[in-house]
Amino acid sequence: MKKNNLLMSGVAIALLATNAAGAEDKPVSGGALRWGVTTEPACFDPHYSSQQAAFFVSRNYIDSLIAKKADGTFAPWLATEWSISADGKEYTYRLREDVVFHDGEKFDAAAVKANYDFVKKPENAVTAVSLLQAYDHAEVVSSFVVKLVLSTLDSSFLESTSNVKLGLISPKSLAKGDLCGGGRALAGTGPFVFESYTRGQSAVFARNAAYNWAPGNAAHGGPAYLDRVTFRFLPEYAVRTGALTSGQVDLIEGVQPTDAPLFAEQPGFKLLTGPSGASTSFTFNINYTRPPADDVRVRRALRDGFDLEPIVKQVYLGTVPRAWSIIGPANPAYNKALVGSWGNDVAGANKLLDEAGWTSRDSEGFRTKDGKRLSIEVGYPQPYVRDNRDILIQGIQAALRKNVGLDLNLRLITAGEYAKNNANGTWAIYPNTDNPSDPARELWDMLGSKGFLYSNIPNPDQEITGQIDESLRTTDPVRKRQLTDAIQKRGVDQAFIVPLFAPSWFLAAKSNVNGLGFEAGLDSPSSAYDFWIAKK
Amino acid sequence: MTSLVVAWASVTATFLALHALPGRIQDILAGDVEYPGLREAIAAEWGLDQSLPVQYFAFLSRILRGDFGTSYVLRQPVIEVVGSQLLPTIELALTAGVLAIMIAGLVALLTAGRGRFSRELASFVELVFASTPVFWLGILLLMAFSFNLRWFPVSGAEGWESLVLPAITLALPTAGLLTQVLREAMEKTLDQPFVTTVRSRGVGEFVIRWRHVLRHALLPAVTLGGWLIGGLLGGAVITEKVFGRPGLGTVTLGAVLTHDVPVVLTVVLLAAFIHVAASTLLDILYVLIDPRLRAQ
Repeated sequence: MKKNNLLMSGVAIALLATNAAGAEDKPVSGGALRWGVTTEPACFDPHYSSQQAAFFVSRNYIDSLIAKKADGTFAPWLATEWSISADGKEYTYRLREDVVFHDGEKFDAAAVKANYDFVKKPENAVTAVSLLQAYDHAEVVSSFVVKLVLSTLDSSFLESTSNVKLGLISPKSLAKGDLCGGGRALAGTGPFVFESYTRGQSAVFARNAAYNWAPGNAAHGGPAYLDRVTFRFLPEYAVRTGALTSGQVDLIEGVQPTDAPLFAEQPGFKLLTGPSGASTSFTFNINYTRPPADDVRVRRALRDGFDLEPIVKQVYLGTVPRAWSIIGPANPAYNKALVGSWGNDVAGANKLLDEAGWTSRDSEGFRTKDGKRLSIEVGYPQPYVRDNRDILIQGIQAALRKNVGLDLNLRLITAGEYAKNNANGTWAIYPNTDNPSDPARELWDMLGSKGFLYSNIPNPDQEITGQIDESLRTTDPVRKRQLTDAIQKRGVDQAFIVPLFAPSWFLAAKSNVNGLGFEAGLDSPSSAYDFWIAKK
Repeated sequence: MTSLVVAWASVTATFLALHALPGRIQDILAGDVEYPGLREAIAAEWGLDQSLPVQYFAFLSRILRGDFGTSYVLRQPVIEVVGSQLLPTIELALTAGVLAIMIAGLVALLTAGRGRFSRELASFVELVFASTPVFWLGILLLMAFSFNLRWFPVSGAEGWESLVLPAITLALPTAGLLTQVLREAMEKTLDQPFVTTVRSRGVGEFVIRWRHVLRHALLPAVTLGGWLIGGLLGGAVITEKVFGRPGLGTVTLGAVLTHDVPVVLTVVLLAAFIHVAASTLLDILYVLIDPRLRAQ
C-alpha cells in the first residue's frame, strides 16, 4: 500500500479488513494474542474510567445493554429489544435470559437497576454519572424487563446505554467496591474473563467459554476465538514497533505515522486505519469571552491566517486528513457543507486584524495595540500531549507569526494548572479531542451553556447554547440533524473553534492476526472478541 | 530519632508542596467530566472538603497507625500499589548499582596511571556514557539486543533475562561518572610515597593497585554513594517506562502529575527511609575502609 492510499476513508478500510478476514480462511479457535498498547489504564472499572485508551481494554470483559453500529444505529446485545415511550421519558429494555456474570451471578433486570443506581448515587462519585444526568430511577417490570425513567428529555440517552461507561458489572462486584485494580473481583459478562494484572507490565484475559450473547454488530456468535489476550503496556513508540517486528507481540496500537508505511508495505505485517475522528476532530477551543479573543475579527484571523493542509500533511505524512468541523468525517453527523468553507485566507486575516486596531508592530514583528502584543496562549495539558500534536501546533504558531503577526503561544501545562484554569475560566485556547457517544452530547461538552469546556464562563453565546440544549432534548432525528449541522456551522463561523485534523487509530499486526476492527461507539479498536489467529 | 525527623520533615514538605501546586485535587480527579455535584462528591469522598491542617493531621495519625490510605486515582490501597511495585524497582536499582561498581572498579584499576592514550580514550567513553540520556541508551540497547539479535525480551519482570538490558542501561551512565572519580583518586594515591615503599618491596603492580591503592581511592567514591542511590532511583523511572517494566517509577510520576497525595507521600516516606538506611550503611562502610576513623 502506498502512503497516499492511506488517505482513503477510514471506514472503508475498516470494512475492507473485516471482509478480507472472511475471504482469506475460515476463522479458527485457539491461540494467545499479545497486544502492545500505549497507555496503562489508571482504572479498569469502566464506571470510574475517563481514559479513552482504557475503554477498548474494558470492552473485553464488559458488555452493554445495546450495541452501536458504524452507521449510527443500534443493535441488540444484553437487551434483545427496547422501546421508548411516547413522551420520550421511559426506556424499556427486554433482556436476554441466558446471561451469566463471570462470578456466576445471574444477569437480570435487578442487576441493570443495581448498576444504574450505583452510578447515579452521588456518594459513589462515579465519573460515568455524566451520562445519567436525565436518569431518575429504574423499575424492575419483571425478571427480564427493566424500565429506565428519565426526569427530563435526553436525546442521547439511548446511545448512553450502549456506552462502555454504563456497562454491566455483577451486583456482587459492585457491592465489594474498589474495582479499579481489575482481576476476578471485577465480574462483567464479556467474552473474556479478567485473569490477572501486573501493574506497569500487563493485564491478561482468558476466554469466557460460556459466552453466548454476542452483540448484534459482531461478526460471529458463541465464545471468542482466542484462548487468551495479554495487553502489554509499552509507552514508547520505538519499543512497540520493535516488539512487533521482532515477534514479541502480535498486535500494536498507536503506530507512529513514520512507521505506518513500514507495516503497510512489509510482508508478514498489516496496517489498519480506524475511522477518522468518528467522534471529534482535534480542535482549538477558543475562550471567546476573554480578550483579545473576545473580538470575532481576531478569532477569524486566527482561523484563516494560515494554510492548515500542508502543515497536517507534513506532520502526519499524509496519514490523516485535515479537519473542517469539530465532528469528524467518519461520524454520520458530520456537516459536509463545511468542507472548503473556511481557512487559508491570509490577506483577509490581515485585513480583519487591521480593522480590529492591531496595526502597529513590535521589535519581533508581532502586531500590537496600545503597546500590547497580539498574543493568545494555547494551554496544552502535558498528560494529554500525544501523536505529535504539540509539533502540529508549533507549525501553526510559526505560520501565524509569519503570515499575520499573531503570537500563538503554546505552553505545556500540568493537569493541575489546566484544572485551575478551567475552574476559573482563565484559559485562552484549549486543544483537545473528546469522545462522547452522541453528537449533541459532544457539542454540549465543548460549546454548551454549562459545558462550555466544563468551565465557569460568563455569558456564553446564546444562539449556539440554545441550539445545543434543543438538540439534547429533541427526539426527532430530522430536527436533531438540522440542529447539529447548524451548531457545527456556527462554531466555525464565529471561530469559537478551529478544527485541525481528524485523528485515526492505527493498528499494526502480524499478517496472521485476523478479524481486527474498530468500535463505533468508542472511536477506538474493538474488543478482541472477533480476533483470530490463522494457523500457519 | 534523626530518621524520624527526616521522615516527618520530608512528608510535611511534600504535603505542603502538593497542596501549593496549582489546581484543586477534586478538579483534577473530575478531569473531563462535568456534572453538578460531582466535585463536591469527590471532595467529600476523600476528605478534601476539610481544612488543610485537619487533612494533614488526619494523614499523620493514619500513618502512625500503619494505614497509608487509598490512592485517589487508582482507587486502591496505597500499600498494595506501592508494595507491588517496590520489589521490581529494588531489583533493578540494586543490580544496576552492583554492575556500575564492578565496571567502574575494573576500568579504573586497568586505566589509572597508564599511558595517556588509553586513559584519554577511557575518559572519553566514560564521558559519553555519563552524559547519554538513559532513555536513548535504553532504546539503542533494545534495538540491538532485543529487536535484532533477539537475545533478551523487551518488557516485563519475568526471569533474569528481562533484567539484563534495563540494568545495563541504568548502570552505564552511573559507571561512567564513578570511574572518573575513582581513577582520579587512584592516580593521586599512586603518587603517594607509601606506594613507592610498597613497590620497592617487589610487590606486583596489580596487587599494589588492588590491595593498597583502591582502598584509598574508595573514600571519595563512597562519598558519591548518596548521589548514586538517588541517580539510580531517578533513572529507574525512565528505564521502567522504556522497557515496559513494573516499578515505582511510572506510579510515582503519574501520582505527582495528578496530585495523588496518598501515593506521593508514601513514596516520599519510603525514599526518606532508604536515604536514612543508606547513609547509615555508608557511615559503616567508611569505617571499614579507613580504620583511622574507628578511633574517633
